[in-house]
Amino acid sequence: MKAPRDFLSEEGIQLGRNSVREEVECIQWLISIRWWAPILITAIAGMGVLAGFDEGLAKLFLVVAYVMGYNTLFYRWSRRLEAEPVATQHRLHHFVIWQAAVDCSALLLLTYFTGGTISPVCFLFVLPMIPVSTILSARSTYGFTAFVLAGITLLTIVEQLGWLPHQSPIFRQKEIFSPPNLQQLLFSLLVLYLLLTTATFLATTRSKVKKDKTKALEDLFESVTKLNRKFWRLFSMIQNIGSAQNLEQLLDVVSSEAAVVMNVKGISIKLLSEDAKYLRYAAAYGLPEDFVREKAVEVKKSPLNKRIIEGESFVTGNVTTTEMFQFGEVLAEAQIKSVLFLPLRLEGKVIGILGAYCLLPDRFTDEDVDFFRLVAELVAIALENARAYEAVEKLVKERSWYMLRVAHNLRAPLAGMLSILDVVRGEYLGSLNAEQQEYLRRLDRRSRTMLMMVNELMTLAKSREAQPTDQTRSVEPELVAQRIRRTFQERAGEKNISFNVTVPEDLPAIRGDLEMVEQILENLVSNAIKYTLPDGKVEVKFSPAATMIRMEVSDTGIGIPKSDRSRLFSEFFRAENARAIEKNGTGLGLAIVKEFVDKLGGRILVESEERMGTIFVVDLPVAKNQKGSQHDRAGNP
Amino acid sequence: MKKKAEILVVDDDPDITDSLKIILESHDFTVRTASNGKEAIEALEDQIPDLMILDIMMATDTEGFDLAYDLKENPKFKNLPIIMLTSFLEKVREEGPGNFAYILGEQWPAHWLFEKPLDTNRLLDKIDDILNESP
Repeated sequence: MKAPRDFLSEEGIQLGRNSVREEVECIQWLISIRWWAPILITAIAGMGVLAGFDEGLAKLFLVVAYVMGYNTLFYRWSRRLEAEPVATQHRLHHFVIWQAAVDCSALLLLTYFTGGTISPVCFLFVLPMIPVSTILSARSTYGFTAFVLAGITLLTIVEQLGWLPHQSPIFRQKEIFSPPNLQQLLFSLLVLYLLLTTATFLATTRSKVKKDKTKALEDLFESVTKLNRKFWRLFSMIQNIGSAQNLEQLLDVVSSEAAVVMNVKGISIKLLSEDAKYLRYAAAYGLPEDFVREKAVEVKKSPLNKRIIEGESFVTGNVTTTEMFQFGEVLAEAQIKSVLFLPLRLEGKVIGILGAYCLLPDRFTDEDVDFFRLVAELVAIALENARAYEAVEKLVKERSWYMLRVAHNLRAPLAGMLSILDVVRGEYLGSLNAEQQEYLRRLDRRSRTMLMMVNELMTLAKSREAQPTDQTRSVEPELVAQRIRRTFQERAGEKNISFNVTVPEDLPAIRGDLEMVEQILENLVSNAIKYTLPDGKVEVKFSPAATMIRMEVSDTGIGIPKSDRSRLFSEFFRAENARAIEKNGTGLGLAIVKEFVDKLGGRILVESEERMGTIFVVDLPVAKNQKGSQHDRAGNP
Repeated sequence: MKKKAEILVVDDDPDITDSLKIILESHDFTVRTASNGKEAIEALEDQIPDLMILDIMMATDTEGFDLAYDLKENPKFKNLPIIMLTSFLEKVREEGPGNFAYILGEQWPAHWLFEKPLDTNRLLDKIDDILNESP
């Protein structure tokens, strides 16, 4: 299973980028709008000239040139910003301030050319406030307003002192804005102050609301990201739990994973004994060794543990001395400040206690406790799963062991029996008549059949024991074919059955163990010969089948009745018509075949027609490393 | 042959010792039997035979082996040829690397190992081989 993408946090980066992108777009919008300023000024000046203004308008083209000049620079600059993968907020702010400042200088120039402070153009100073207020903080915006007002005031003073000549458009030899007197000047300055301050106030209050909202959104986003991270960890914990092989390993995985998920220093898992009298430290992570050394706790003597087992959760943000008594001095030495204990509950029954330990005081909030409860539930389920699995595994092992033991114990008396038979049949105790010989021969035969059954039972028992097959080994089909030919040629010849094993050239090696592959074929071929009447035919054919090697064992024998096919591979089963031919079969052969095919990761199919014959098709996976086959050939002469 | 060769058969299964005794005696061997390691040692102290047939698993899974190793370390008996018997050749073979690690090594204390039930003819052939080998 693949871990899901940490999609929310990735989206978060996207969102962060978006807010930057928005500002870049805003800047570009400003620049594109600014192109209209020179056009407008030109149009106004042009109309003025047509209307009969005598002079003073030509100077406006200076402003036009100035605006066009700096806007071109700004345009280039903004293109470069766009190319940057992540433009920082900081740089963007600087860019906005620069633009606004330069715009103000252009406006000052325009104001100067059109009559100074009394010029109606003064009102245009509101315009640069708009971008500034949307991007910068309220305080910076006010600062900027103060800067602009200082600029205008300075211009007025300079003009008033006569350091710069008063400028005004002239209409029919008359200045439309004649130099104002002091009262006029102060009045218009006052109006301008009021106007700009009000505009700034209005602009900043609105954008403050917007900014607050954005901040709230960002906070929300952050908490969602955190939550996502938590759940993602929870998910990976579940994954890791799934990969644990046994209870011991699972406990280790769970405790270390839980520490990561909960973001705490230490985790302990205590399990309740079956009689519910003791708590045993089953696992600990990140805790001092001494802490866990005292492995079992008597529940009766520990009121705190008792409370938790009864279903309460326990949180403390500042471990006190009395509580410390419960946890031991070791914990104090480790400087643990916050502790959280939760019952591990499964289907309403408490099976243990999950503990979390943290160095920070007051670490665990209600929210954390809820989340940890979730983790505790998961841990409980995982533990129960592992226990169940181990119980099953133990049962399987016990069964195999029992089968082996029985088989062994059956062999010893059989060996003794056959040994005595040897003495009697060998006429060491006196000669026997033909009839006696015949009966003893039958006795010997039945005993040997029994021995065979015991041997097969042992093979089966051994193969049941969980021993993973060696995935790195490989078997050369030709080698198996040779062995099978050698083993059965004679037996087939005796019954006058034609026996053929064919392997195409360049067939890849089979993954697995030679003994197993050989056993599979031996069993199938031996059956085929057994159940094929004289003058019949038995064939073994190897062929490639996608990523598998196919081995077909076909015969022209008695076939397998349809009704028996489903039980074919189960232990001790023998088809009705097979019993009629061979009384002494054990019924274990095909069970062994199935067992081995499963172990090698292959599959087996059977096609059969009564009185016509049977085909067993075995597909086994191809070996991964082809070179290994040479080795195997050398290793198994 | 100057004198009858003597064989000591050690097995805790009287069916095996009895039948082997009959078979071997009729093939002109002198046969003594013992049913455990201790009896075997006593019999050996009494007189060293020409060959010993020794079952591996008696009271313990490795009693026969233990005896064989003890004998190999004893200068008095270290040249005594041994044929071992086991009902569980497979067990010996498969558990070789584990419980029976020392069996498969160079320190292997026996001349041969037969699986029970015995093939009488092969046993007799092997006995002849061994006796002819060691003067």
